[in-house]
Amino acid sequence: MNRALRTIAVLAVALVVFGPLGLIFYQSFLSEAFFSPTARFSLGAYQYVLAVSGFLSAFGTSLVVSLGMTLISVPLGSVLAFLLARTDLPWKKFLEPWLLVPIFLSPVVLAFGYVVAVGPVGFFSLWVKALLGRVPWNLYSLYGMILIAGLTHVPHAFLYVSSALRTLDPSVEEAARVAGAGPWRIAATVSLPLVFPSVLFSASLIFLLGFELFGLPLVLGDPAGLLVLTTYLYKLTNLLGVPSYHLMAVVALSIVALTFPLVYAQRRMLRTAGRFAVIGGKGQAFRPLPLGVLRWPAVAIVLLWLAVTVLLPLIGVGLRSVVSQWGEGIKISEVLTLDHFRELTGYPNLVRGVLNTLLIGAVGGALSVLFYAAIGLAAHRWQSRWITLLDYLVMLPRALPGLIVGLAFLWVFLFFKPIAPLRTTLVSLWVAYTVVWLAYGLRLISASLLQVKPELEEAARVTGARQSLVYRDVTLPLIRFGLIGSWLLIFMMFVREYSTGVYLLGPGTEVIGSLIVSLWGTGALDLISALSVIEVALVGLMLFIALRLGVRLDA
Amino acid sequence: MRDLIVQNIEKQLGAAQVLSGVSFELENGEVLALLGASGSGKTTLLRSVAGLERPDKGKIEIRGTVVFDAASGFEIPAEQRGLGLVFQSYAIWPHRSVFENVAYGLRLRHAPDAEIRQKVGDVLARLGLDHLADRYAHQLSGGQQQRVALARAIVYNPPVLLLDEPLSNLDAKLREDARAWLRELIKQTGNSALYVTHDQTEALAIADRVLLLDRGQIQQDGTPQEIYGRPTSQFAAEFMGSNNRFEGKVGEVADGRARLEGDGWSLWGKLQGKKVRGASGVGLIRVERLHLADAGGENHLKMQLKSALYLGERWEYLLQLGELRLRVWGEEQRAPGEYWLAIPQDSLWIF
Repeated sequence: MNRALRTIAVLAVALVVFGPLGLIFYQSFLSEAFFSPTARFSLGAYQYVLAVSGFLSAFGTSLVVSLGMTLISVPLGSVLAFLLARTDLPWKKFLEPWLLVPIFLSPVVLAFGYVVAVGPVGFFSLWVKALLGRVPWNLYSLYGMILIAGLTHVPHAFLYVSSALRTLDPSVEEAARVAGAGPWRIAATVSLPLVFPSVLFSASLIFLLGFELFGLPLVLGDPAGLLVLTTYLYKLTNLLGVPSYHLMAVVALSIVALTFPLVYAQRRMLRTAGRFAVIGGKGQAFRPLPLGVLRWPAVAIVLLWLAVTVLLPLIGVGLRSVVSQWGEGIKISEVLTLDHFRELTGYPNLVRGVLNTLLIGAVGGALSVLFYAAIGLAAHRWQSRWITLLDYLVMLPRALPGLIVGLAFLWVFLFFKPIAPLRTTLVSLWVAYTVVWLAYGLRLISASLLQVKPELEEAARVTGARQSLVYRDVTLPLIRFGLIGSWLLIFMMFVREYSTGVYLLGPGTEVIGSLIVSLWGTGALDLISALSVIEVALVGLMLFIALRLGVRLDA
Repeated sequence: MRDLIVQNIEKQLGAAQVLSGVSFELENGEVLALLGASGSGKTTLLRSVAGLERPDKGKIEIRGTVVFDAASGFEIPAEQRGLGLVFQSYAIWPHRSVFENVAYGLRLRHAPDAEIRQKVGDVLARLGLDHLADRYAHQLSGGQQQRVALARAIVYNPPVLLLDEPLSNLDAKLREDARAWLRELIKQTGNSALYVTHDQTEALAIADRVLLLDRGQIQQDGTPQEIYGRPTSQFAAEFMGSNNRFEGKVGEVADGRARLEGDGWSLWGKLQGKKVRGASGVGLIRVERLHLADAGGENHLKMQLKSALYLGERWEYLLQLGELRLRVWGEEQRAPGEYWLAIPQDSLWIF
């Protein structure tokens, strides 16, 4: 690949990242929608958002939720990481993939699952009420939202902390053990402090994800009247009764203004973390730390977390999808039915949604992986200032919640007449998905490319192959399994995606995720539960295939 | 015609000057070893010739064709230089069989299938790999992988074969065998070779000529005998072999020789470079040049034997006289005590 092609690849990324962002920026300084003939330059939108509406209270709620969930998920995730990465915890092989499952489940499905499982009239709530005479918790509260957000984000902490722990030289723990420390003391005084940069990194990541939460606060916060930044943005149209693009742009920009510094800080941290990781040598024989009698309490902690975070909501969704109605005094055995799935086939848009989800996951996912691979190869072993630009470009979408990227692309497809007909096709959705998952996808690709030793490519060059042949004959064949793995992971991410499609939702662009969001407003619990079961089944199937193929989930 | 002409190559990597003005030529059919410690720039030099690194200054010519010239900014990319390179890690493509690894260079040159089968078959047979043609890298031993890498690099008959520490990943025993047949093989092809190594024995055994590199500069360029036996600098003298090194003051100086004096001893040796009486000097002598003598004589010292270490094929004695400590090799076990030590004048270099 020559310089020109590489440069074009970087510019293509710049276009898809800056295009929508620029449009939001432009819109925020207008008095009306950008396509309105009477729109003119104005700071009114900023004044309005900051002064009149509930923006500041939504910001406050977002901050509290972010902090709270970070305080729950980081300690818990670190402990789980220590148990799985360093100790002889029983059933480790079996438990490990399950720990990452929440990453692949749609938050809106999980949130819905909690509502039907432990909401005011949830299955478990009513059983507990029958036993105790009352329900000792309230799901629709700030605390409920924080707790569930915290529990479902444990995998993100687990991921980063455990991968750092795995590089740790076991002898530093053995030294503490010989000196007389028990497993918990070793974790608290040796292992976790040694990987502190990774703990800190995961904390900042989860704090960032807190500002991008949408599904959980939409489902759990709404009934209690709690709005966070994203749900505030989503509700803005309803609040005013008219689509107020300039106000939405200001809120969207304010979210980006909050998240971008966090992403930038993370980049800096990752560099320090890399330096820190030198303490451990690779190729160390892994010698697990014996937990002794503590192994059973340790397993209990892991299982309890799994039960509350994965099983509880999934059982809720599953049960809800096969009962005709639910409330106090109803016996499950009397209301069992498959009607909801039958009912689903009566709605053409829902049927299209299921098919579209499959299509965008399988075909769109494959195309996205090809796009990411093209960018990855363009950047591969290229020493140039363009690479620095690319690094920063890739950071940007990470600071953009899917909701905002979807909104931006809706505008792009409205604004540029030549591509306007594509707005009502899956193409618009695919472009938005590809940008939202750009950083993740490129990380998958570059993880594969890192496995290719430079000599293998140099050998081909010296033998007489030009760059494009080196890629065709050496690099691509060597990363083919990595590409298949990336496709499976992207497939799952695209299937579970919900927020990006919210604004682009229309006839022709329905997908399960955004349909659930829009159905939530109408209270069609039967249909939501049936759609959720279909989505979970799809993701579960892909997950099963990925695990059978030995795809690493912890990319 | 020379196979390779390298002129005044300079290369900076970050803050470090890796190569500072290296020039050499490679005659047709000659095996040249680039010898140096890690960080001496030898691998960078090899990679510059291959076209995998771009030097900051200098010029490289292969068989009369300029492939790199910093002055005009001209550069022929690695894939068009037609060279063969054997990597330290072998770099066997794991997704291709042995046959396809070796055949790749011929396929890129659009050789007909029949010719490819014949040439690859020949080279595999010559390297004793013919029964492994369908295997993959992970099914091969280290020695076999090394030979596949070599077969891949020589099959299309490159004008210059480049080898980057090709034996360093082999077991010690295997490495000694490989030295002999590798030299024989390179000589058979009739093409010249540039051989990078940090192992001096390997360099001396394999090469017709050795280029000793230190911190990006050529310290000495000569035959193996010259490099080992007639070092032109203190660095070259100390780098090669196993040495005794001691400091003293220069006493008498006479026709290329000098007397080095210390506390309770004085020894004649060959003066390397210029020294005047009273200057401080460093004496260097290869350990194998010293031996214990039955009686005193010219350039003999009476020294105290402190200890004798058993090294398997020989003994090493540690002798002391005041501050002067020397290591000496011998055949038998010796008890501590006083011994005469013979120091041949011609073997003691004074720098």
